[in-house]
Amino acid sequence: MLKRMSYSSFPEDVLEHVFSFVQSDKDRNAISLVCKSWFEIERWCRRRIFVGNCYAVSPRMVIRRFPDVRSVELKGKPHFADFNLVPEGWGGHVYPWIYAMATGYPCLEEIRLKRMVVTDETLELIAKSFKNFKVLVLSSCEGFSTHGLAAIAANCRNLRELDLRESEVEDLSGNWLSHFPDTCTSLVALNIACLGSEVSFSALERMVGRSPNLRTLRLNRAVPLDKLANLLRRAPQLVELGTGAYSSDLRPEVLSNLAGAFSGCKELKGMSGFWDVVPAYLPAIYPVCSGLTSLNLSYASVQSPDLIKLVSQCLNLQRLWILDYIEDSGLEALAASCKDLQELRVFPSEPFGVEPNVSLTEQGLVCVSEGCPKLESVLYFCRRFSNDALVTIARNRPNMIRFRLCIIEPQTPDYLTHQPLDTGFGAIVEHCKDLRRLSLSGLLTDRVFEYIGTYAKKLEMLSVAFAGETDLGLHHVLSGCESLRKLEIRDCPFGDKALLANAAKLETMRSLWMSSCSVSLEACKLLGQKMPRLNVEVIDERGPLDSMPESFPVEKLYIYRSVAGPRFDMPGFVWNMDEDSALRLS
Amino acid sequence: MTYMELQLGLALPNHAAISVKGFDLNTYLYEPKDIIASNNPSWNTLGFVFLPTTTTYNDAKKRSFDEAFHQVRSVPQTLPLLHWTNQPNDEDDDPKDLDTNSSFSSNKISEEDGVVGWPPIKNLRKIHRQQQQHHEGRRAAAAKNNQTVENGFVCGGRQYSNSMLVKVKMEGVAITRKIDLTLHDSFQSLNTTLITMFGLWHQDSNSYKLTYQDKEGDWLIADQNVPWRIFIRTVQRLKLLKSSD
Repeated sequence: MLKRMSYSSFPEDVLEHVFSFVQSDKDRNAISLVCKSWFEIERWCRRRIFVGNCYAVSPRMVIRRFPDVRSVELKGKPHFADFNLVPEGWGGHVYPWIYAMATGYPCLEEIRLKRMVVTDETLELIAKSFKNFKVLVLSSCEGFSTHGLAAIAANCRNLRELDLRESEVEDLSGNWLSHFPDTCTSLVALNIACLGSEVSFSALERMVGRSPNLRTLRLNRAVPLDKLANLLRRAPQLVELGTGAYSSDLRPEVLSNLAGAFSGCKELKGMSGFWDVVPAYLPAIYPVCSGLTSLNLSYASVQSPDLIKLVSQCLNLQRLWILDYIEDSGLEALAASCKDLQELRVFPSEPFGVEPNVSLTEQGLVCVSEGCPKLESVLYFCRRFSNDALVTIARNRPNMIRFRLCIIEPQTPDYLTHQPLDTGFGAIVEHCKDLRRLSLSGLLTDRVFEYIGTYAKKLEMLSVAFAGETDLGLHHVLSGCESLRKLEIRDCPFGDKALLANAAKLETMRSLWMSSCSVSLEACKLLGQKMPRLNVEVIDERGPLDSMPESFPVEKLYIYRSVAGPRFDMPGFVWNMDEDSALRLS
Repeated sequence: MTYMELQLGLALPNHAAISVKGFDLNTYLYEPKDIIASNNPSWNTLGFVFLPTTTTYNDAKKRSFDEAFHQVRSVPQTLPLLHWTNQPNDEDDDPKDLDTNSSFSSNKISEEDGVVGWPPIKNLRKIHRQQQQHHEGRRAAAAKNNQTVENGFVCGGRQYSNSMLVKVKMEGVAITRKIDLTLHDSFQSLNTTLITMFGLWHQDSNSYKLTYQDKEGDWLIADQNVPWRIFIRTVQRLKLLKSSD
């Protein structure tokens, strides 16, 4: 036990009590920097930790510094893994963490993982190691099956949350749900929307019936619509509901039964699901529309007129995810009715189609930016845009925090002037002073990066594809964006010069991803040698690196800072550019 | 452990406590405003202005805290690893840039389907989309069984678009073209159009064979052995391959 000293006039216990009210990681980090005694007190009473990159620190180091943690959140693979840019088998295994925490944190209650490989063995270890385990959130994770989930269900007696988000689960049996013992009544949230096969419906019904605190229930597509009413009647306290398949042979009694069940759900604030939706059944949710703040229709293929009818009843909507079937006319209606809208995501219904199948243009987003004063977060897929529209959006919504625009065809210029979209995105970064996340698309020159480096002082994450002309583009970003933490770049002609000139910047960032760019193997080696606190990993599936010329551009490059040194679980196609490997390769 | 643990990965980095400047005494401050103010789009004619960072009071203070707590961090003296100069990519004449450029362009169009991971849509969303289309295909087929063209060209899930565009790729040509199959009723007219589209002479056209991908993802030869009716119902995309014989 370390000696605990206090130079302050407050007794330690008082400080510890005060610190317990400080929730944000940033503030806790600030506290621990005040003085030695605060550092000590703080580390003993830190209950929650967030590790943004599981390879940036070792579990042993974390456990040594924070001995009594109850809640852990870890992230694994780079974000571009979502789009298949990270090869299968890259890493991101959570087992070493769980193994260390099983002895280090016996009182652990919560585990939240994102983009990590979780095996059934890992889930079994979780199930038997933590006696008071309560929350398991697996977001975009993979590697496990329903057998592992059965172990969690059977053993975690106090489970409150089981949330599988967008994980890829090997679906061996729908029977795992019946492994929850009848004594388990603590469930608050259950999200199984990503599962493919049918779950045991009777087990689901019993589970819902005996969970008085259940607030969130997100079903999968295999749960038919005619079962939904029954479930809702057992859980009128639900706050968030993800429906299963929202279709059935059109029968009036199904509709009226469902509408009755929905009108009993007075607390409902969020809805999702709506797979295979039959629009005729949508009126069943009209009774709850005015209470909804969050609506995810991004799996619902519904045409604009039906969407307009639905959306114009959701007057308190704050977040809307939707397919481009809503079209410009629907977004216009949204802008007119939903004055509290903060977040809008519009996904493409035909992302690989060569021709627009709907009438969704920049006009829709311009309308929403005009009509919804609280709009601060946007993800928008469409097929054309203009600088004018971007400038208007920027002027309308200087409060924008996240702006991600994907013009589907790479390098599409302004459709009106045929110019690059530099000035448009430039206006976004200039007017939106608090912008934290930005994704670029369309035809862009180095000039847009000059704007970004100059104005985007609070930008934390930037995604770039098919943009820029020379190293200068990347140099602007790395030398100008002082808050940048994550930068991901694909198919841009950025290379060695910009990277090496800003080597020190990389240590202040969580990670940099570059694929199909122009960084040479030589530069990667140099970076790895000179920057010992960076892990410089080259991912190349074309063969061993020593057979490649030094000047060869590497396929993919992932750079991240780490206090743990090179990772131990690199597959054959990943090379760490540390000093040893540099010697070995040269 | 070390000071670094506070920052690395455990939380959102604390920008107030640690800045770029704080990390590196030798770093150079680049002022892009000068460029913008100069209003000169041609950046390579402009000298970059590099100002050595002055150690501010705050920086000094941070370091002293750091040093008070732990051993002095060794700051690499070699950073930046390369000094930014006003010469744009000085090695432009270097043959390596040829590699660079060729790899850049070849990577861009790397898959039948266009580009891997573009547009950026999550896998699960793609899977759901396929299931949805399958579902809608069945529903639409049940609704009007006189309609035969499916091809995934479901427009808005209800009505079908009038044109039927598929991608065409020719071996050795980076750019993928599109062709409207409803404008054709035989392989002969299709071939004639493709020959013109890719600028082939008729005698050259014999050295290419037309292949198509069906709904199962299999590539098949498109010639008179395949009934046009079957072809038009299953074709997803086209490719002109050099005949090996």
